[in-house]
Parts: sequence; C-alpha cells; structure tokens
Amino acid sequence: MTTDTEDRKAEAGVWGALRQLPANVWSSVFRNPLPSTDLERASTSFTNFFLHIHPVKVHKNTLRPAYTLGLGLISLFLFLILIVTGVLLMFYYVPSTTQAYDRMLDLRGTVAFGIFLRNMHRWSAHAMVGVVFLHMCRVFLTGAYKKPREFNWVIGVVLLLATLFLSFTGYLLPWDQLAFWAITVGTSIAGYAPLVGKQMQFVLLGDTTVGQEALLRFYVLHVAVLPAVLVLLIAIHFWRIRKDGGLSRPEPSAPPAKPVVKVRMELQKKIYGLQGFVRGPFTKVGNVPDDSVYSWPNLLMAELFVFVLTVSVILVVSLAFSAPLEQPVNVMHPPNPAKAPWYFLGLQEMVSYSAFWGGIGIPTVFALLLLLAPYIDRNPKGVGRWFARERLLANTIFLTLAVLNVIFIIIGTFFRGPNWTFVSPF
Amino acid sequence: MAVVSKSLDKEQDMPSRRVFSWLASMGLFGSAALAAVSDWLFFKPRVTYGPSARFAIGKPDDFPPGTRISRDVERVCIVREGNRLAAISTTCTHLGCIVGISDTGFSCPCHGSRYDQDGTVTGGPAPKPLPWFKVTLAPNGEIEVDKNAQVDPGTYFNV
Repeated sequence: MTTDTEDRKAEAGVWGALRQLPANVWSSVFRNPLPSTDLERASTSFTNFFLHIHPVKVHKNTLRPAYTLGLGLISLFLFLILIVTGVLLMFYYVPSTTQAYDRMLDLRGTVAFGIFLRNMHRWSAHAMVGVVFLHMCRVFLTGAYKKPREFNWVIGVVLLLATLFLSFTGYLLPWDQLAFWAITVGTSIAGYAPLVGKQMQFVLLGDTTVGQEALLRFYVLHVAVLPAVLVLLIAIHFWRIRKDGGLSRPEPSAPPAKPVVKVRMELQKKIYGLQGFVRGPFTKVGNVPDDSVYSWPNLLMAELFVFVLTVSVILVVSLAFSAPLEQPVNVMHPPNPAKAPWYFLGLQEMVSYSAFWGGIGIPTVFALLLLLAPYIDRNPKGVGRWFARERLLANTIFLTLAVLNVIFIIIGTFFRGPNWTFVSPF
Repeated sequence: MAVVSKSLDKEQDMPSRRVFSWLASMGLFGSAALAAVSDWLFFKPRVTYGPSARFAIGKPDDFPPGTRISRDVERVCIVREGNRLAAISTTCTHLGCIVGISDTGFSCPCHGSRYDQDGTVTGGPAPKPLPWFKVTLAPNGEIEVDKNAQVDPGTYFNV
C-alpha cells in the first residue's frame, strides 16, 4: 500500500517541514488514506482503533434492515446518549432527600438546556428498555440464539435484566411522589423472596424504609456500578458476535467453494505475524462466501444511518414532550393508585393477585426460561429466518409469553384506577 | 536400582506438591468467601438514620374512648375502646403502602388490600394481618409505642 506522503520527497529545512505540517499530522493520525481499493478497505477496518471492532467483511444478510431491524445498534446508541446526558446531569444533581427535588426544579428552570437534557435522558431510558426487549424478540424469532450463539444469548438476557435494574434505580433519583412510591412498591416485592428477601431489601435500601440511605445507594448503583457492569457486558456481547461467526444468517444453499490461495504479485515483501494475513502478500480467494461485502463503507454507512435516526428521534421527542415531575415526596400520602414504572406494571398487575407468585415466582421462572432457552431448544433448524416453520412451537411459546407480558402491562397502565380497581380508560 | 530410587524420590515429592496446591486452592476459595462475607457486612448498615422505632405519641386524653386515629408519620393507628389502648400498624403487609381508615377497617390505595377493624385481612393481595405493637405508659404520662415489639392482635393496654 502506498500513500502520498511516502512518495513525496521530503523538502529540506524548516520551511518545507511547515509546508508539509498539516499533511504530516493528518497521515500520522490516520494511517490509511480514504480507501479506494478492496485491500485498503480491509486495512482501514483493521488498523483503526474505533473500526477494528468490525470484521473486514460482513455477510450481506447482516446488512438487511428487514432482518435485524437495527435494534441492537439502536440499543447501543441509546445507551451512549444515556451516558452523555447522564454525566451532564450529574454536574447539577445532589443525591440528598432535601436537595434532590429542588435540583430537579433547577434543571427545569435555571440550568441552560437542563430540561432538554433531562427529557433526553428520560425518553432514552424508556426507549432503551423497549428496544432491548424488541431486540430480544428479534433474536428469538429468527432463531439466532442457536449453537454457537447460546452464551451470547445468555449475556443478552443478563443485559436486559441489568437495563431494567438501571432504569429502576434511576427512577428514584428525582425524589418526587412517583419515584418514592414506585420504589417503595418495587423494593417490597424484593422482600418477598424466600429466606433472604427481608435481608436483601434492607441492604438495598440501607434502612427499613425508603429514605436518604436508599437514595444514596440507588444513586451510586445508577451512576457507577450498573453502568460499569453494562459496559463490560456489552463489550463481551460484541466480542462474542465476532467470535461466534458474525450475525446469524440462513445456511448457504450451496456448499462454500474450496479456498484458493493466490500470491499477490505486487506485494512480494514478507510481513510476518497476524497482520500479515490482512496486509501480507497472500489473498485468500473463495474461503469467504461470495455474498459478503466490505465493512467499509457498507456496514459503516448502515451504522451511521441508524445512529442519525436514533439521535434525531430522541431529539425531536425531547423537544416535543417534557419528562414528568410530580409533587415532592410526601411519605404520608401515597398517590392512589401508586404505580410502578410502565415496564414493571405487568409485574405490579401480577403482584395484585399474589405478591409472592406475581413478584418473585413467575418472574423468576420467566428469567430462568429465557436464560436456559438455547439449552432447552436444541433444534438446529430454522436459523436466520423470521418465523421459520421449523420453529413454530418455540416461537409460539415465546410470543404467547411476550404478548401476555405486554397485555398485563397494558392492563396495569390503562385499566387500573384508585385502589387498583378495574376502570375503563374510554 | 538407581532408576527405582529416582522414581521413589519423585513419589516422595508428590504429596508435598499436592498439599501445596490443596492449600493454595483452599486459600483462594477461603479469601473469596471471606470477601463475600465482608462485602455483605459492609453493605448491611449497623446504624440507620431513620426515625426511632420507639416513640411517644401523646397523652391518653388525646385519644378519647371510641376513637381510631391514624398517625401517618409514625405509620400507626391508635385505637381506644373504653379504657383500653392499642396500636395497629398502618403499613400494608403487601407492599408497604400506608393503609387508610375505611368504614370496615383499613384499605390500601396501592393494590386494594382490605382489613377489618382488628387488621385481619378481608380481601386483596395482603398475605398477613396488620401487626399490633406494644403500648406502654411512659413515666411522664405519655403513650409509648414500640414498633420493634409486636403483640398478639387483641392485646390491649389498660390506662
């Protein structure tokens, strides 16, 4: 590979160095010029720190919007928005029962763009919970959790649970009525766990009731512990996508052609080590499916598109709608009905029938079923297609449970009035 | 003979090596267990900063016979029947909301649990009756409620 700077004769003296300064700085930062050949496209993906998470080539199926719907990428970009807006909000927030609510009012009233940042953070958090759930549905309904991707599915389920917990801990921080009673109800559910339930609730809250200790603990979990856990798990999740052979796709109809190794005549100098396989004099022909394309620019353009789309939607929604803020905490007067965040309302609806089974028993069974799904369903057929006929049973069970959960959430959100009695929203 | 003695030497080495690796792995697991226990102890607070569980709530005259007064700050309902006093918890045994006084006893706004006048569950998801707390008279003549000491429902304090 040749670059302009290598060919250019170094001009003598300070004047020459100054004349070439911009070009020299540029070429020292970006080791590859904008790629124009396939080899340079490969090299760009391989040598750039931010791009080397991508494979050099990806299967065309990976880029089909109708296959992935871009849900995993949207989750990631929402998480990035949450980190950026969250760090900015931290500059003005104080986790104190006497100050937290006033800081919310300050964010709304005096801090420049404060209300906008809070809106972005709140709507991105809601969106992330929903999108991560939809991403899980996509992966299940296309059979993408099958061997060898079982463990990445498990990490994905843990990521979903961590996302829910992250959202839950953030819910308390505004210290308004909604926050206080949602957390009171939510942590009481934890208290129903057998044997260790009460102890767990006490350690989570740092006290017997929701108060200053609980606010501080939830704050630390929300801004430090859980984001760190999520970043680590996301890194493993992405790494495993590569190591498990890329995104799932239908099996090729024809067996792949035998690899043919050809020597590139224009590059005869020897390069050893791992990079030699990318940069070296050998190109492997035929060992990659013909229906794969270079990540640069195909994958990158797709990612850029999803990124711009995600950020635009969040910006528009945050301009149009303000995040709710209710009255400051009044421990004497629970709102009637006291409702948890929407994604826990299905849980709360079940809890209204039986606290143990609704809050602990059934959710635990659900979580275990999800975690063990790839180890229970060993049928290797139907990978890489939506609603494959071979997976009718598995898909039906999954969809039934998912739709049930959504129905319970809808009932809890719209059909429950004071004293949790059935009301009609119409 | 030399070969034999060599192998004997080796076998004599093995036990000590096995003991060492056993000790090392036990040490590793031991420190992990120790770390888990100390983490738990660290996160479980020894003192809490919330309101005291034992408090004075007023003179008996503040509660004339036949009253049922719910004190939301202390989360307790003072019941006086004739000369008998009792304190019933107003924290819902379901999910910790504050129950309100209703015509038939208590009802919870969060998930619709209902209790009768004595705190026995009559409907809704509540798994347990509302606990009764120990009531005493402090030397200064005020009623003292101890939420750390539960008494059997129906246990009254005579003033």
